[in-house]
Amino acid sequence: MSQFLQVLLSGLATGSIYALVAIGFTLVWQAAQTVNFAQGEFVMLPAFFVLIGMSVFGMPLWIALIFGLAISIVVLGVLFKKMIVEPILPHGGITLIIATMALGILLKESVKEFYSAEAQPFPSLFPGDPINVFGAVLSLQDVFNLVISLGIVVLLTLFLNRTRTGRCMQATAQNPAVAEILGVNVKRMILYTFLINAALAALASFLITPVYLAKFSNGETLGLIAFIAAIVGGFNQIRGAIAGGLLIGVLDNLTAAYVTAQYRAALPLVLLIVIILVRPQGILGTSEGRTV
Amino acid sequence: MLELKNVYGGYGKITILNGVSFSIPKASITTVIGPNGAGKSTVFKAIFGLLNIHSGQILLDGKDVTRQTPRQMISQGVTYVPQGRNVVPQLSVYHNLELGGITAPDQAKVRERIETVMDQFPMLRQFRNRKAIELSGGQQKQLEVARALLLDPKLILIDEPSIGLSPNLVQEVFQTLIRLRDQGVTILMVEQNAKAALAMSDDGLVLELGQTRMHDKASNLLADPRVGQLFLGGHVEAEHAV
Repeated sequence: MSQFLQVLLSGLATGSIYALVAIGFTLVWQAAQTVNFAQGEFVMLPAFFVLIGMSVFGMPLWIALIFGLAISIVVLGVLFKKMIVEPILPHGGITLIIATMALGILLKESVKEFYSAEAQPFPSLFPGDPINVFGAVLSLQDVFNLVISLGIVVLLTLFLNRTRTGRCMQATAQNPAVAEILGVNVKRMILYTFLINAALAALASFLITPVYLAKFSNGETLGLIAFIAAIVGGFNQIRGAIAGGLLIGVLDNLTAAYVTAQYRAALPLVLLIVIILVRPQGILGTSEGRTV
Repeated sequence: MLELKNVYGGYGKITILNGVSFSIPKASITTVIGPNGAGKSTVFKAIFGLLNIHSGQILLDGKDVTRQTPRQMISQGVTYVPQGRNVVPQLSVYHNLELGGITAPDQAKVRERIETVMDQFPMLRQFRNRKAIELSGGQQKQLEVARALLLDPKLILIDEPSIGLSPNLVQEVFQTLIRLRDQGVTILMVEQNAKAALAMSDDGLVLELGQTRMHDKASNLLADPRVGQLFLGGHVEAEHAV
């Protein structure tokens, strides 16, 4: 029982970070009706901003984290929207999707070329000491990752549902034409969405990089798993992205512990196929009718 | 109250409005009719700042409001209810109403106003916490009309309010509009159900090919055989067919 609990909680910790990244897919989808295939690289990059802050500018860790968060919001939020999304979106969603793929490659190769091709150690934000939770031995890092990720998700949900700005963002996402007619500042709401996505990516980066080290290729797997999590949960629903992330994190750990670790990388893909066949709108998603 | 002077406009370089001119009096209902593609909905978009106006002038109470943004038009007391379903589906009825007053500086007054509007539409109070998408089509249209009243507008532009509604619900919506007119609100409406709309309107306006063809008392338009033949479902003799 304690082993199951250990596997479960550890899976939830990883899954909660997947959820943060998957929410980003959902937010960008709602704001621009496109898929950001550079989302994985958006999670890879902020860790390097922190490392640059520490190694180049000599900042202490906490200052470097704030520096990394701020730079991420500017580069991955404001500049991404202004320089990629706004100019390319009028040419069609598919064009923008291809552009985000190119951006992902550019970010990855730039880090490899200008920083390092080697994995870089990233300072842990929390002590790695093990703690005992109802008999299950967990690393403190996992516990903090789970608590902070879920805390961020709760705060985001409260912001979207309990504040007027959040509800304006929802209105913009669900029916932009109506939002404009009602006087909602649609452009500003879309900008907020991109800023939140950038902040979520940065926070996910700070939580997960101490485990995986900072490497230019980190975004490949993380982006793919989060993309699948968003589809599995329901691409057009934030709660779906949360559910999908947690589900994949837990299933991944359970499979590795009780079935086989050899094929654990295939599990998200199998889950994706099953969901697309059985419930294409995702577990908590809603179907969006399109006419031809 | 509202006056359009020789307005030309369209989408990009395509011109839809070819010199629309008319004026409507305060506290009246004016119905705009015309064949498909006449530019009826486009006129509303032009007034509300959603269309590229090439030339001409739009005056509201004598003030030039040409090319103002929707936010500016709302602040001038104009609201727009487009055709089709226009609720925010996953938000509650209450929060949809709240969005109607989102531009108001004093949100406490908006909350008071929501209560007043819910008094006018008791169904909305009953379903205040229900998601808008869970309402029936008629209820959603009532929600849209109620939301348009949040800022106590002086002019409501309402496009095809009867689409998708049962005859009973159409009458309900029309009665609501008459009640608003009696309270001093000016209503400009596009309606396919032209006979019924003209019957409850003060004035009527016929648009064709982006131009004002006729503008008269609604009762006169209803009685006019040309209007009957072209737009009210009357029979058109072969030699007179257009």
